Amino acid sequence: MSAARSDAGEWVLLCYRVPREPSTPRIAIWRKLKRLGVAQIGDGVVALPADARTREQLEWVAEDVVQAGGSAMLWTARPGTVADERRLAEQMAAARAAEYVQVRDQAVQAADGGLAALRRLRGELRHIERRDFFPPPERALARAAVEALAARAGADREPV
Amino acid sequence: MRWATRRGVHIDRAASAWLVRRFVDPDAEFVFVADRSEVPADATPFDMRGVELGHQPGPAGQECTFETILRRYDLTDPVLWKLAEVVHEADLEDDRYDAPEAAGLDAVLRGLSMTSDDDVVLAVTGPVFDGLYEYFRRAVLLGRPPT
Repeated sequence: MSAARSDAGEWVLLCYRVPREPSTPRIAIWRKLKRLGVAQIGDGVVALPADARTREQLEWVAEDVVQAGGSAMLWTARPGTVADERRLAEQMAAARAAEYVQVRDQAVQAADGGLAALRRLRGELRHIERRDFFPPPERALARAAVEALAARAGADREPV
Repeated sequence: MRWATRRGVHIDRAASAWLVRRFVDPDAEFVFVADRSEVPADATPFDMRGVELGHQPGPAGQECTFETILRRYDLTDPVLWKLAEVVHEADLEDDRYDAPEAAGLDAVLRGLSMTSDDDVVLAVTGPVFDGLYEYFRRAVLLGRPPT
């Protein structure tokens, strides 16, 4: 009897190995993967839910790895069980939640110079949302805190 | 000349296609392939892995294909380099440039690629980039955003 196809979604996986030295390209690749919000499956294996954007993003990172003298291979795959996929999603949501909490805390603490802080926090929020594939409740809290800061900054604005 | 890029064009490919047609090869024809191995022998590939006209290391770090093409073809027009900042931010999102237009432009391009095939995306975005070029050209001349 053949196994039923998993109901889990499709993911794009990057399997890669970068030379330990020189460290500059290895650090740049690590930073880029971090900015993309990847799930770490194992040593040298990262994943993102598959769509046109994430496939392209990991393709360019794979190219960076090869240019740095390493090896890289891209896969698309489905987790074997929904439970495995849920664990990946939880890992990613927890990482984003921590980032949203930081934005919320900064928005709550921002006092004077509200407009500059507001612009910076809105930008940061947009970046986090761009790598947020399984939005945690903390996203709404961060948004609310930034909008509250917007209201405070607006209220303090001098009339034109 | 024939030029080849990957299917499902987003910001860097659409902007680069506009750049090629306006400033490099007015008679350019574009073909869209799934993979580098499908590039026709007579076509110049751009914005894909492992080709010269792709993302390349630049003097300040990684550059997108639009910037690579500007360097490769010695296009020094400051208006094009201003437009390159917007395309760079929309594509790479690394905060190197202050380009508030970038996120909006990216959203428009992604939406277009969801509703239209590649030829339509290039047809629609040609006038968009013409307009952006003119906007930045006047901003350069005036020293402020034009109204």
